[in-house]
Amino acid sequence: MFHIAESWFQQQSWKPFPFQKQTWTAFLEGKHGLLNAPTGSGKTYALWFPIVLNYIHNHPDYQTKHKKGLKAVWITPLRALSQEIKQSAERITQDLGTQMTVGIRTGDTSTKERSKQRTAMPDLLITTPESLHLLLSSKGYAKLFKDCTAIVVDEWHELLGTKRGVQMELGLSRLKTVCKNLRIWGISATIGNLEQAREVLLGPTSKELENSVLIKAEINKKITVKSIIPEEMETFPWRGHLGLHLLEDVIPIINNSKTTLLFTNTRSQCEIWFQKILEQHPEYAGELAMHHGSINKETRLWVEQAIRNESLRAVVCTSSLDLGVDFAPVETVIQIGGPKGVARFLQRAGRSGHRPGKESVIYFLPTHAMELIEASAMQKAVRHHAVEDRIPYLNSFDVLLQYLTTLAVSDGFYPDEIYEEVKQTFCYQALSEAQWQWLLNFLVMGSQSLKSYDEYKKVEVEDDGKFIVNSRAVAMRHRFQIGTIVGDATIHVRYQKGGYIGSIEEYFISKLSPGDVFTFAGRNLEFIRIKGMSAHVVNSTKRTNKVPSWMGGRLSFSAKMSELLREELYTAELPQNEQSPEIQSLAPMFTKQREESMVPQPHQFLIETFKTSDGYHHIFYPFEGRAIHEGMSSLLAYRISLLTPITCSLAFNDCGFELLSDKKIDIQAILDNDLFTPEYMLSDLQKSLNSNEMARRKFRDIAVISGMVFTGYPEKGVKMKHLQSSSELLFDVFKDFEDDNLLYQQAYTETFEHQLEEGRLRLALERIAQQEIVWKQCKNPTPFSFPIITDRLREKLSNEKLADRIKRMTAKLTR
Amino acid sequence: MSQTIQIKNQNFTLHPLGGLFWEEKSLLLISDVHLGKVNHFRKFGAAVPRKAIHQNFVLLDRIVADFQPFQICFLGDLFHSSLNKEWELFENWVAKTPAEIILVTGNHDIIAPEKFEKLDVKIFPELIMDHFLLTHHPEEREGFFTFCGHIHPAVKLKGLGRQQLRIPCFFKSEHQMVLPAFGEFTGTHTLKPSKTDEVFAIVEDMVVKV
Repeated sequence: MFHIAESWFQQQSWKPFPFQKQTWTAFLEGKHGLLNAPTGSGKTYALWFPIVLNYIHNHPDYQTKHKKGLKAVWITPLRALSQEIKQSAERITQDLGTQMTVGIRTGDTSTKERSKQRTAMPDLLITTPESLHLLLSSKGYAKLFKDCTAIVVDEWHELLGTKRGVQMELGLSRLKTVCKNLRIWGISATIGNLEQAREVLLGPTSKELENSVLIKAEINKKITVKSIIPEEMETFPWRGHLGLHLLEDVIPIINNSKTTLLFTNTRSQCEIWFQKILEQHPEYAGELAMHHGSINKETRLWVEQAIRNESLRAVVCTSSLDLGVDFAPVETVIQIGGPKGVARFLQRAGRSGHRPGKESVIYFLPTHAMELIEASAMQKAVRHHAVEDRIPYLNSFDVLLQYLTTLAVSDGFYPDEIYEEVKQTFCYQALSEAQWQWLLNFLVMGSQSLKSYDEYKKVEVEDDGKFIVNSRAVAMRHRFQIGTIVGDATIHVRYQKGGYIGSIEEYFISKLSPGDVFTFAGRNLEFIRIKGMSAHVVNSTKRTNKVPSWMGGRLSFSAKMSELLREELYTAELPQNEQSPEIQSLAPMFTKQREESMVPQPHQFLIETFKTSDGYHHIFYPFEGRAIHEGMSSLLAYRISLLTPITCSLAFNDCGFELLSDKKIDIQAILDNDLFTPEYMLSDLQKSLNSNEMARRKFRDIAVISGMVFTGYPEKGVKMKHLQSSSELLFDVFKDFEDDNLLYQQAYTETFEHQLEEGRLRLALERIAQQEIVWKQCKNPTPFSFPIITDRLREKLSNEKLADRIKRMTAKLTR
Repeated sequence: MSQTIQIKNQNFTLHPLGGLFWEEKSLLLISDVHLGKVNHFRKFGAAVPRKAIHQNFVLLDRIVADFQPFQICFLGDLFHSSLNKEWELFENWVAKTPAEIILVTGNHDIIAPEKFEKLDVKIFPELIMDHFLLTHHPEEREGFFTFCGHIHPAVKLKGLGRQQLRIPCFFKSEHQMVLPAFGEFTGTHTLKPSKTDEVFAIVEDMVVKV
């Protein structure tokens, strides 16, 4: 069969890579597998080819006769990538003279197109995990999939470690039964746990895993990391996250390369950078563009096309340009602010020099002094390929409930059959029969026992034991809600005269009054009014500093990255010629730090205390990454509160954490009582008030995914209002009345395992136990402390009687 | 621990459960209970814990026991939705509660008046007693002091060390007092008091003037 593929490659005057050939062989031998290949390496041809060849093999008269029906499904996490994937598939099907059709089915696909697909499925379908589940929620889905021979999950590393990954596992578990002769393939960029990624994709005990391969592309690309080091360290800020101080240093870089991508960490940062560059360098007008997830699709597609045409000098963007899409003309990438992850940094670096053999160049632009340490650590990480793991979810009851409802909405399901399938997945390998029964009860009765006055209605059980949804209204609501990405309520921004600009979180709009001007999608817009789910605006010439903020997740350092960061910091005490340029440049800051306090060494654990007008600051420096500090601060605050009643707010970043209180905390007592001990860690964490707050936030997603909170039909916000309760309210009700609910408990499990990473936290505490604790009582805030104490996003913790606190707070009632 | 205040030479006690007792009239005012909400959600497939249904009645019993009022007046939004099976529980509660029950209707009260009349519950769109106006929606009327609900008021408190707290409250302006929502499973809306407003916050089992 190969000769067909090879001659095609010859016609393009290309040569297949060894990994492509390996994949073809394995696929045609009927194997499943995981292909580890970066974007732009030709991975699409590695898998589209054997799919088409397999069809040719089974249908020798393929050129004259066309056997209709779905043959393969290609799953992509980003629908923006689907066009590109379709093009490469069509190239093969057409050049090889098959009559195979290629179709896309995502949230963007029109209803008309979708119903056309329902009657005649394309041979090759490109879709998202959500749209796949929507197909599973339609009647007679089994027939659709019966001749499907392959499922390819692209960018599997992006899905793994998210609930969309769990959703994918469940979808595959069903298709393994429904499709008679299925091959399952994943494609993943490099991550720390590739072997596990394969296990999750195929199922840990499955025969598919046994009959599978892991193929590595091994394309060694040269990546050069350069830090932008401020010339005058004395005036470089100690805090901040925008990095505008170094704007002028970026200009020569842009001028010296064909196209430059500037990656920012947030959408608001992206907006601000775009504005500021144009303000100070109007000569770029028309050659500078912006790209982020909230801008409307047409603009984004236009920008992507313009990059390919080489008609843009530079694009300011967010993670929206991280994935997929091959942008050959991009020569240089600038990362503004810490990327927080080696994998992500590598991925972004890989956006430049996208042609085989070319070198990737990425500049790291620090937004404050401490980030120069991160820059230095990042260089080392890139050299050693120290890429993070993606930790898969376990026992996500919310996703399972959604999936079961999906099956009940289509053809109904028999629990015994589905239980066997679900047990095969990685996520639910430990699901007990008792838990399974609980979930079934929950679906049917909304609780674990029947009560006469109850009117709960969702899934019904037929006489033969089939679980099915009979109500059309329930089915419709469910279909609207399929998916595991829960965003804040968003509002569309439109011109008054029509024209969609993008979407913004409702939270931001609610703070605006008519007449206010804000910056969005690179324009100054005046807010007029809210109508339905849209905000009407007109262009404005007024200047403004209002930029929408999006509540994106703040990312944390991985264990590996934290270790590298600590090692870099420790080099501060080395002779200058043994230091990296970044660390050398920080000399003035280290001097200042030493004046007030000290720079810790490997055997030391630093604590600083000082007082400002905000109150008493107590700062601890474990250098373990944000997530660990979140847990540790909460734990420590709780343990202190056992010694003495206290109220404090907590702040943390990747270097350390702060307890800010209106009273002085006795540090000596902390040391004397050994409050950093790893003993009783979990039970203390659970009792700390904070875990409640974190779980409450996790519960938000769980409530929506499991279908307990209905978020409303798109564009019809108001109509369904009577069914929209806030998940916060729901959380409190569960806490008071049903704390054995599995979904409520899941919120805590997720908090401890995924947010606080209790395993790592324990190791961190054990490390601290080996260190000498150094307590510095400072007069002023130190350079190390600055980014932490100025953080306004804080957690609160208190065990004082509420009434006592109120008495002290009364004076400050905001009038 | 409750808090007693005077308005127009009459005595009112603010109860930490969210009710307000007019001593001279032996009248208990309660607003926004939103009965039936839990079942309403359940009917549409949202599995809110069933036990929350009973909590409303437990709390009603508790506040009635504390004051043993002559009359109980609900300031609207007694029922969240159309008739559902929580109505039966309400019937039982009315039957066993030794007080005259009045409902001033709110925007959520869409259950037919006859149903209430059958239980001897009187229904009014608003009620005037001496110089006091009892309504659901906030309204200032010349010469009257208003008691109302609807808003589910809460206030935000700030303290040193960047502390913040949001708690439900009784919200009194010069001519009007907005009662907090009595029901379990109801949300709050944060108000910003002006210089002349008085705020009585509900702090666990106490009412504290802030």
